[in-house]
Amino acid sequence: MKRLKLAITGLTACSGCQLTLLNCEDELPELLERCELIYFPLAESGDLDEASFDAAIVEGAVSTPKDLELLFKLRNASRLLVAYGTCALFGGVAAMNNRVSARVDLLQSVFGTGNKLPDSFPPVPLGNFVSVDATITGCPPETCDIVAMVAALAAGTLPPAPSYPVCTECRSRENLCLLLEKGQLCLGPVVQGGCNARCPATGIVCEGCRGPVREANVAQELELLLERGFGRDEIERRMSRFKPEWNYGQRS
Amino acid sequence: MEKNFLKMTRLVQFLETLRLFGELHAPTISESGVYRFSPLDDPAELRLDYHRTQIPPKKYLLPFREEILHNATGSYREGHSGAKDLVLFGVHSCDLEGIAYLDRVFLADAADPGYSARRSRLTLVGVSCEPDDFCFCPEERESTACDLFLGASGEGFHLACHSARGRAVVSAADHLLEQGPPLPPPRFSGPCFPPQDPELRFSDHPLWQKFASTCVSCGACSVCCPTCYCFDVREYPTLSGGAARIREWDNCLFVTHGEVAGANFRPDRLDRLRFRFLHKYCGFTPLQGISSCVGCGRCKEVCPVDIDLRELTVTPKRVQP
Repeated sequence: MKRLKLAITGLTACSGCQLTLLNCEDELPELLERCELIYFPLAESGDLDEASFDAAIVEGAVSTPKDLELLFKLRNASRLLVAYGTCALFGGVAAMNNRVSARVDLLQSVFGTGNKLPDSFPPVPLGNFVSVDATITGCPPETCDIVAMVAALAAGTLPPAPSYPVCTECRSRENLCLLLEKGQLCLGPVVQGGCNARCPATGIVCEGCRGPVREANVAQELELLLERGFGRDEIERRMSRFKPEWNYGQRS
Repeated sequence: MEKNFLKMTRLVQFLETLRLFGELHAPTISESGVYRFSPLDDPAELRLDYHRTQIPPKKYLLPFREEILHNATGSYREGHSGAKDLVLFGVHSCDLEGIAYLDRVFLADAADPGYSARRSRLTLVGVSCEPDDFCFCPEERESTACDLFLGASGEGFHLACHSARGRAVVSAADHLLEQGPPLPPPRFSGPCFPPQDPELRFSDHPLWQKFASTCVSCGACSVCCPTCYCFDVREYPTLSGGAARIREWDNCLFVTHGEVAGANFRPDRLDRLRFRFLHKYCGFTPLQGISSCVGCGRCKEVCPVDIDLRELTVTPKRVQP
């Protein structure tokens, strides 16, 4: 069987998504049988030059000229580009202050005012610069999702993409509804499910780490939260934790 | 006179007898305070005073997610049904009618293999209930769609058998039963919300627009509905070169429900609400003319935006100029 030629790497990110893949210990031997990991710097050194890939799985947001250079290289060298994780899809935690703070202030708070500041710009999703063929959401993504993606790629296809909010799995698990019963700031109704309502199952509200579900009724969620006494600022702050820009008037 | 009365003081012994017929599950309350059907390890956990569980007993017959087909290179096998002898104790009439409806869907010709395997090993013991504000029941019901029904009466329960298995339970528990007070008059059995005219789904009722704008498509109404059975089937390639085909509950208010390659039969939420109304209250072929609302009140209780589709059947009051 011809092995799938893969690149797996990250841009501005915490490497948590790539670690998720390395954590699939049970599946790794089979994965290596089906795939040739040509470029996966987190796991082993490798060379990008002259290489070509069936797919590049890319974590992180684009925030530096180096990110951009790597992203273009991968896009040009790969048949398919997979945005891997919330940062790659929506900007993620690195982008949460995009609408709140000036870039230079953020840089100075980290590197101080006396030094030369590194060259960077507000973090944005891969899709702002290149075409993206497939996505895996989550911060970090579910292990089953990355395994399903690699298995599907190796089979010459893409995995099916179910689309329902966190509430669906949450109710099915017979969790207590934190929004309705506890009046908490839960984003379940507008956030993409597939995590099996991990957080609400332990009594923690959905923080929205998987980004918006398709046709999210954002305006109604906003109303529900305002009715429960949360301030507009607090709500927007929470919603932008994993995706800086929401259309708060969107109903479909 | 036959012995058909179970004194409340004998209930725990009766539950032990039920264990002879399978793993005993009954209404209990979770740590976070959610009523649910769960294994009854300790009879003290039984909560017969419950109004409704968050998820109806359909979860035992049609699991939220199950593998229905698995193929490896060159061969395939059907998913494992997980069927085992199970006794569900303390099911209310609405939920019994819900299962009766699912039976019509999944046990009709070309019976669903997983459903029928699980159904054939399920013993249903119903119990009478006290409606609350969410219940849609027009009057007290006593469903006959079970093996055995316990109607609360004074110091205990009147037992009514509705199947051979129900009679087997009663004879196994014979030593616990006695002659009771005279039977109350029979109550009605069946679905409770009458079938509606399919044309109503095209009505110009102002609530349609209101519901379409407030519905968040969270899926709670159908996840928690005892008769919603729509499912999605998806196939995932596996690393070993085969594939796993899974079936998972779906909801008609999801954007993907009416989506086909290149188009969507129900592109916006209003279309999806009209479709839900049609299926729930009017029925499709071959169940056309049958309302599948059994009156449990779950959809009304769990909806974050208080949508109650039954309101669409009431002509709106004209506002006086």
